[in-house]
Amino acid sequence: MFEPVILAQILWTGVATSSYTVLLTVAFALTLKVLKLFNFAQAAVMATAFYAMFFAYGTLQLPPWLGIAFGLLAAGVVTAAIEIYGFRVFRRRRSNSLTVFIFTLVISELIAHVFALCFGTEPSTLFPSIVSPVTLIGGLAISDWDIGAIATTAVLLILLILFVRFSKSGQALIAVADNAELAELYGIDVKRSYMLTLLVACIFVVAAMYLYGTRSGVIPETPLDLLLAAVIATILGGIGNVYRAAGAAVFLALVQSFSVLFIASRWQGVLTFAVLFVTILLFPEGLKLPRMRLSRFAPSGQPQMNVVASPAAPSNEP
Amino acid sequence: MEYVLNIVILVGLYVILSSSFNLIIGHGGLISIAHPIFYAIGAYCSALLSINFHVPLVLSILCGSVLAMLVSAAVALPSLRISGDYLLIASIGFQLGLLQVVEQLDFTGGPGGIGNIPSLVDGPQRSLLFAGIVTAIAVIVVLLIRALMNGDYGRAVRAMRDDELAFSMLGRRAMKIKLGIFAFGSGLAGLAGGLYAHYYQYVSPQQFGILQSSMILTMVVVGGMSSTLGPVIGAGLLVILPELIAFLNLPPSVMAPVQGILFTGLVLVFMFVRPQGIVGASTKRRSGLAEAGQGQGQ
Repeated sequence: MFEPVILAQILWTGVATSSYTVLLTVAFALTLKVLKLFNFAQAAVMATAFYAMFFAYGTLQLPPWLGIAFGLLAAGVVTAAIEIYGFRVFRRRRSNSLTVFIFTLVISELIAHVFALCFGTEPSTLFPSIVSPVTLIGGLAISDWDIGAIATTAVLLILLILFVRFSKSGQALIAVADNAELAELYGIDVKRSYMLTLLVACIFVVAAMYLYGTRSGVIPETPLDLLLAAVIATILGGIGNVYRAAGAAVFLALVQSFSVLFIASRWQGVLTFAVLFVTILLFPEGLKLPRMRLSRFAPSGQPQMNVVASPAAPSNEP
Repeated sequence: MEYVLNIVILVGLYVILSSSFNLIIGHGGLISIAHPIFYAIGAYCSALLSINFHVPLVLSILCGSVLAMLVSAAVALPSLRISGDYLLIASIGFQLGLLQVVEQLDFTGGPGGIGNIPSLVDGPQRSLLFAGIVTAIAVIVVLLIRALMNGDYGRAVRAMRDDELAFSMLGRRAMKIKLGIFAFGSGLAGLAGGLYAHYYQYVSPQQFGILQSSMILTMVVVGGMSSTLGPVIGAGLLVILPELIAFLNLPPSVMAPVQGILFTGLVLVFMFVRPQGIVGASTKRRSGLAEAGQGQGQ
């Protein structure tokens, strides 16, 4: 059971299958970092992306790249509508986080019901066959899907890093994430940054749903289930660090993959929720806290890490 | 007639659920959406006790309620140290995790659930009697919560919710209050669960998932959070309105999504048109959670 080839295979498959969770986690964590909200409406965007591509391939018979473009367009329209007619209204009203949470959950359910009405509740895949050609390399079974998934994830992450580091719009996102009011004073269009963040997240969501839809069946409720894994990874990685959240998504996938060596596979789902529950209770700011250590050395008068303004700061329970 | 009684029973159960949930989230300001898991604990406990140990049904329902209360207290002790969105996510994790466990265990019936649960009342007037029992319990629950919130304890709860730091500075123990309302509200949910199990005679994990959380939450929001009458009206409205679609004689594959669209659409309309809920404006006594008041800002 613990032969190196088997362990390597589990590692490879775990990394490959973590790809769509990583993409969804980056989308969720990025939105949380910039917009400061737990965006469960991402499930609505995920469902839209998948069913738009499903429609493009099944009914319109479009080629793969055009189907992805169709998915991007549909998901982008839904994203923009949620921002303009939802989040902006709540921001203007200075609504509390519970109201926004209910909105994001309800909009996801609404979209799920719409797609259940249009496409039924039977599992659907983007293409009739989800079998991917497999190559044996040194005893490892490596499928084309695995390579495509890892490559897509890596390319998108690199593009995100380049965008945030070297583009003016990316720098604006960082400024808005740090302090939206101050960023506005410096002339940054905060509304535009919020929209841009959601649209960047939308690209990651479309890629994730393409990968998932070419490997597994999707029903209208699937996006919400998939999103929960992204939420867990975001919290495990520590709120405010997108890349660490992506790493946590890989870690979670590997924990699940390797757990088959120790526990029955039917308990894998429970393991994920157990990790979430324990993480929140024991490590409410993520597993690693390097920024907290750095803040200890901040000069007096300089603000410490702003845990109070964090959307998920623990209370000062006496 | 049977159909109408069925709706009355469903409304009664949701009145208990939404009122007890309002106690936690509206009055107490504890943002948890795990209420359906305590509903499930009450339902499963009562069903298993009556089937496997032949415990009298009334006693098994009470045991389900007490177990829900105890489990909620056990969960609340570590969880209530955190607050806000973290408590919300922790509650989702606890709810879905426990449902996964229920799905994997053999004695709970696995994903298929438990059937053939003994009925609380039998005979030709079963539904009528049950409707009477559930309605009476729902009325008692609403009046009990009203009395509780209008008294000294209610004032303490509101004070803790509105300014926990000031409340603690006065020498009061916020954790004790939080624990109390969380356990009491969850116990009432367990009571509703027991009643549900012994009327519908079937329970399965799918009935207590995140959609159920969303449904109870929206009943409270649509009716008017932190008001006594709000959850009652919300429960009635959100159970009855989607049922009206049933008269269109649509096929089941269309009926369920259309009901869902109507339900969620209604919630969205309320969120934008009347965010304080139906009775929120007249009975609103606070500004923390009520939408009309100043929020914490997003």
